[in-house]
Amino acid sequence: MLYIIEDMINGILMGSIYGLTAMGLTIIFGVLKVINFAHGSLLMVGLYATYWAITLTGIHPYLALFMVIPAMFVFGYYLQDIVIKPIFIAEKNVREPITVIIVTTGIWYILDNLTLLLFGPQYRSIPDNPLQGQMFEIGTMFVSAPKFYGFLTAIVTACAIHWFMQKTIMGRAIRATSMDREAASLMGINQYRIYNVAFGIGAATAGIAAVTLIPFNNIFPTVGVLFDIKGFIIVVLGGLGSISGALIGGIIVGLIESVGPQFMTATWTEAIVYGLFLLVLFVKPSGLFGQKHDW
Amino acid sequence: MNHQHINKIMLAGVLVIAFALPLVVRSATYLHILVLLFFYAYLTTSWNIVGGFAGVLPLGHAAFVGIGAYTSTILSLQYGISPWLGMLVGGVLATIVGVIISLPTLKMRGAYFALATIAFAEGIRVMVENIDYIGPLKLNGPRGLQIPPLQTGLEHFMFASKEPYYYIILIMLLAVMLMTYLISRAKLGYYLMAGGEEPEAAMALGVNVARAKLIAMAISSFLTALAGTFYAQFSLYIHPKSIISLDMSFEIAFIALIGGRGSIFGPILGALLLRPVGDFCRIYFGDTLPGLHLVIFGLVLIFVMLYQPRGIQEPISRAYQALLNRLAPTPSPRTVKLGEIRS
Repeated sequence: MLYIIEDMINGILMGSIYGLTAMGLTIIFGVLKVINFAHGSLLMVGLYATYWAITLTGIHPYLALFMVIPAMFVFGYYLQDIVIKPIFIAEKNVREPITVIIVTTGIWYILDNLTLLLFGPQYRSIPDNPLQGQMFEIGTMFVSAPKFYGFLTAIVTACAIHWFMQKTIMGRAIRATSMDREAASLMGINQYRIYNVAFGIGAATAGIAAVTLIPFNNIFPTVGVLFDIKGFIIVVLGGLGSISGALIGGIIVGLIESVGPQFMTATWTEAIVYGLFLLVLFVKPSGLFGQKHDW
Repeated sequence: MNHQHINKIMLAGVLVIAFALPLVVRSATYLHILVLLFFYAYLTTSWNIVGGFAGVLPLGHAAFVGIGAYTSTILSLQYGISPWLGMLVGGVLATIVGVIISLPTLKMRGAYFALATIAFAEGIRVMVENIDYIGPLKLNGPRGLQIPPLQTGLEHFMFASKEPYYYIILIMLLAVMLMTYLISRAKLGYYLMAGGEEPEAAMALGVNVARAKLIAMAISSFLTALAGTFYAQFSLYIHPKSIISLDMSFEIAFIALIGGRGSIFGPILGALLLRPVGDFCRIYFGDTLPGLHLVIFGLVLIFVMLYQPRGIQEPISRAYQALLNRLAPTPSPRTVKLGEIRS
């Protein structure tokens, strides 16, 4: 019994980190109405940025946040501004921006393989990791410390984004654009700049996720793909565009992955996750907790 | 000599070159590259029936390749049934699966449909990786199946040299291209295109868009599964990670999008452009610059989407049209004077 509780705690912790990795995906979808296939690659870029920030300066892993967040924001902002915006402008009248999905796929391929070209295929982990193997002991249960910090980070990030969306002028402009592009434009909001900012925020949350992942995750050029597919599943489970939905979807996936192996071969849990995903898509495509405009 | 004559001569010329190529290309490596080029052109043309004409974005076609490959391989390994027959069984099986998966998904909006097909294909891959046996059928999990080259000959779909494979895939490609041509000229093609561009308008005019898309998906999954059998017999080894991979699904979609979605020659043009680039990068820069070809794919994809959203077939067909006009100028339409009509 205690095993199951331990597994559940670990599942919730890891799941909230999954939710954090998917949060940017849901923000970008909420505003641009586009599924960003390059989101795993943004996470991968964040991981490499964190890795180099820590390796070159020797700071504590979590202090890298202060470098990675602004760097990723700028990266996302200009990625959208230079590569994706022209397509939006060209396809103004098209309702379903399939072309944009395709372009983000192109970005995914370019980023992953450029990283492979530049840094090689080897697995890396940060040197002199101060969080290596740190555990909290609760009775006879063990809980990984970096995962617990990741859980806290995920909650803080979700709250911070919620506050930003509700209380700041930029947040309101973003919400307005996500509800109705044309009306927002008529109110004097530059929708393309909002897209840039939303993409920047999405990339920045991928950077935050990268910092929380780096103490216990190896990095390699295709690391993003693992989180990419998982991210799609999480955001659809929780409802595309919903921040809290991303967290809950992440926790569901995390729980299935950690508790499932008690009852079956570990690799089967993956099949269950896909099955659940398809089921939600068929039955309730707006997601388990999705509302139309949920920020 | 008018345009139609020139078109026929050009087509005949291309066909003669295609059929005579193995007489000139003696290197097994180059033949292998050509076979895979036609294999991908075939897959993309099959994908195009639903991904191009119907205006949706399926990203899980590798699942059908896998179904075709596994069905015929299991039937021939365990029951000694000729792969040719297994090919048809695999095709029928893939059609059933394709229809089942399409019934709920084709109603979804673009992005959701793409995600659903990805999840479906990945789900199939995970299941095949985890299953060693379905009843008496041996899938062999992640280790995959090896086809021992015991008997060669047409009836066993197995040959010692690459030339027969070349001709088989070439004929398959030509057949599927002819088929897409016929579909694009038939009612189904018009329904699909109307439904892909303006679903509401098409439905208002009484077009059963959902049914047309379902038929397209059935045809497409059947044809895709046939190529799976070909791949199994050509490479003699299949395993889930290679044959039901996301990379294959995406490469099919990339070739179609770069070549030109919904056009008959788009897939072959896309394959002619991308496959050689990929192969030569792998041969010459595989050690020093791994992944270079995928960077090039991504760049080409983005530039094509930015500047030629209808694919490279558009500038090419425009250039061809200009050439036609140069060779056989069409007489400019004669201005008719009022007096001529009266008399």
